[in-house]
Amino acid sequence: MSLKKRLAEFDASRKRPPEVVAILRRGIDYVRESGAAGLRIGERAPDFTLPNQRGETVRLSDHLSRGPVVLNFYRGVW
Amino acid sequence: METIRSLGADLVAISPERPDNTLTMAEKHTIPIDILSDATSEVMKKYRLWFAVPAEVKALYLEKFGLNLEKYNGAGRWELPVPATYVLDRDGIVRAGEADPDYTVRMEPSDIVAAIRNISGNLSR
Repeated sequence: MSLKKRLAEFDASRKRPPEVVAILRRGIDYVRESGAAGLRIGERAPDFTLPNQRGETVRLSDHLSRGPVVLNFYRGVW
Repeated sequence: METIRSLGADLVAISPERPDNTLTMAEKHTIPIDILSDATSEVMKKYRLWFAVPAEVKALYLEKFGLNLEKYNGAGRWELPVPATYVLDRDGIVRAGEADPDYTVRMEPSDIVAAIRNISGNLSR
């Protein structure tokens, strides 16, 4: 089964009250309308430097010098 | 994750969380990917993924879900990225990717693997 289908089934299984679903849906619409659409295909990803889980400084371009990179933005561990 | 690494690609994850509360000590030293902390939201903004959590959603998180983002992100930081995945070639060009404010939608792992294979194929030609 695809990840998309599994996530959709999981979301449906939570059986949230309609008023909660409505708030979450309005939140998603708000972000969509805010224009936070991310990078386009073919665009160069901006370089950056950030600390990793061990407090080491990590630069995107250092990773790229070793090969392709899968870059994932996630909301958090919660 | 293992498939991605076996194809010679590095996995890099970024969240707005402070670095100190995401992993145990053991995890910090064994997980073979970089988990980065964008504690000033600078990178999320550069990538046009940043947003401030709307008041209505903030109230829902706090009151119904018992979720206080400040505990994870730091004081006053009700800020998040649009969940996104990008496959970058060695020049840093986005060759595939998805960003969707609907956090129940994620890029298919098979699409990620196909994009890396495509990049590697072009290199060996």
